[in-house]
Amino acid sequence: MGSVSLRHITKHYGSVCALDQLCLDIPAGELVVLLGSSGCGKTTLLRSVAGLERPDQGQVLIDGQDVTALATRHRPIGMVFQSYALFPHMTVRQNIAFPLRARQRPAHRRASRVEELLELVHLGPQADRFPNQLSGGQQQRASLARALAASPQVLLLDEPLSALDALVRQQLREEIRRIQKTLQITTLFVTHDQAEAMAIADRVAVMRQGRIEQIATPLELYETPSTRFSASFVGNRNALELPLQDGRIRFGQVLDMAVPGLASRRAIVFFRPEDVEFSQNGVGHPAKIESKIFQGAHTRLHLVAEAEGLMGRFYADLPSRQAHSLEPGNTVKVSIHPSRARVFPADG
Amino acid sequence: MVLDRRRLPSLGRGLLLAGLVIYLLLPIAAVLLYAFSTRWTSHLLPDGYTASHWLQALADPRLVAVMLRTLGLALLVTLLDILLIVPAIYWQWIYNPRIRPHLELTAAIPFVLPYVVIAFGILSLSGQFLPAVQGTVGLLALSHGVVAFPFFYWAVDNAMAAADVALLNEVAKTCGASPWRSLVQVILPNISVGIATGSMLVFAVSFNEFALVQILVGARYETVSLYSLDLLTGTNADFNKLAVITMFTFVVVFTLSALSVYLNRGQGQTRRLMIGSRSKA
Ligand SMILES: Nc1ncnc2c1ncn2[C@@H]1O[C@H](COP(=O)(O)OP(=O)(O)OP(=O)(O)O)[C@@H](O)[C@H]1O
Ligand SMILES: [Mg+2]
Repeated sequence: MGSVSLRHITKHYGSVCALDQLCLDIPAGELVVLLGSSGCGKTTLLRSVAGLERPDQGQVLIDGQDVTALATRHRPIGMVFQSYALFPHMTVRQNIAFPLRARQRPAHRRASRVEELLELVHLGPQADRFPNQLSGGQQQRASLARALAASPQVLLLDEPLSALDALVRQQLREEIRRIQKTLQITTLFVTHDQAEAMAIADRVAVMRQGRIEQIATPLELYETPSTRFSASFVGNRNALELPLQDGRIRFGQVLDMAVPGLASRRAIVFFRPEDVEFSQNGVGHPAKIESKIFQGAHTRLHLVAEAEGLMGRFYADLPSRQAHSLEPGNTVKVSIHPSRARVFPADG
Repeated sequence: MVLDRRRLPSLGRGLLLAGLVIYLLLPIAAVLLYAFSTRWTSHLLPDGYTASHWLQALADPRLVAVMLRTLGLALLVTLLDILLIVPAIYWQWIYNPRIRPHLELTAAIPFVLPYVVIAFGILSLSGQFLPAVQGTVGLLALSHGVVAFPFFYWAVDNAMAAADVALLNEVAKTCGASPWRSLVQVILPNISVGIATGSMLVFAVSFNEFALVQILVGARYETVSLYSLDLLTGTNADFNKLAVITMFTFVVVFTLSALSVYLNRGQGQTRRLMIGSRSKA
């Protein structure tokens, strides 16, 4: 299987800069998720690897080979499109066989390979149906099988699940991950759903304005985002903007921490709702409950606290069993452990 | 014509529809009766009926030759349009969307200019640059190809839009297909209805066309429409035979139109002629 390297890829559409000197290295067999908001260049990046887009500058390497000038059809890739894009006049079986025919594999090998793939994506019973006779999830599985048919070195998926409903989405993403691990195929997966990214990635690349902002394992990204953008993008986080005095940030007894080496007058503090601690024994800072939303295992409380002449609004998640007695209008005592907070300069 | 259902009571609608049907069918019925009548003088219906006009017409070598010529020309024009225009529209969709406005403009010209003007334009242009082609069937076929272009263009362009050929082509490329394989095995099967529809319209236009034939080749290549005129005004005028020819032309054109409507039922969806018949795993 092949590694993928992107070296200083730049792509402009007129005056729009879709990719800006982007570098990315993916070792063989890894699944990297490209995560980012709309228009940040995810699709352009994927299409550059596929050769459907020619970068203005930079190189694309697959398995160490420079493929920048190679036509799409000669690249060792398979691609799954958001809209499934099955050939409507061919059955599932014929769709899956198409890449094998295009690459002129002998007929007997073709037939057995197609059976193998039908098995892999569990579409045996639907093999002779046309795409318009399949559900969305089945169509996307057929499309995945087609992309894998010619045993490519790299699998590219552009928001493959975004047209499906929540349950199918979750099943299919687990299936994609299972298949990817079985085949050990290098994979680039585009999404703007962070839960999806966290669930299936070996590493997540957070993209912003044509660049990769951070690339890290889901856990690292969740626990220690390295930039303000990643922090605000990944994990439902609270953000409070607070003044910086003598190298410390204070917000009453809610938070008091030293932040050495931050050259800014104001700072943004990110913390996750499950890291807000409710104290029984009176330590902590008073906060008023503004509303309470039951979410199953957890209950979300929207809180407001006042300190240092500032008003801070944030929300906290706590196990629903502990939230029984709490009602809007009550006052609770809360605090946040400094190790749980991520601080970035407010003007950066 | 768009009629608002809510404002028109159903009786009024029924009457209007009946009126329209009568208005359209009466002339055709009259021609049909005439083609079967012995004499038709002062009565509402013909004086007597006979099939002899049909038998005579079919036995007339001049008419048979005229039919074959017209048919041959229409087929040639259709083939010409398929070979020239399908690649051009495909090129527009896949490689260069910027030529679209030019194609659209070109497709409007035959509607804006009267055929007589187009015919004289072609005459003077060919006279200037290629006098040798004047009066040839080739030039006539080309000219028919041009005036029939809009019908073909819109039919095929719609089919390509509905099938999303740009996406299909990209998918085929990622599957390792060559441009030729992509065109033949992926694109064409998905736009075949559009091509068939366009072809029928082109065929009908050429089959029926009069002004260009008259001006560009005249009696050198007599077609059905020229022969019809001769039967109407010539010294050997024969109205019954004319009725036979008119009926025949009507049936040909009507069948083609009906077929193209039938093929395009269920608008907005991609339709194909041969579902999946060409590829086997
Ligand atoms: N064919 C094109 N012509 C002009 N501009 C384009 C084209 N394709 C993309 N762009 C621009 O390039 C930028 C990146 O687009 P891209 O499609 O890669 O974003 P994306 O991250 O995939 O977004 P989304 O999540 O909405 O799919 C956008 O600003 C977009 O408007
Ligand atoms: Mg995209």
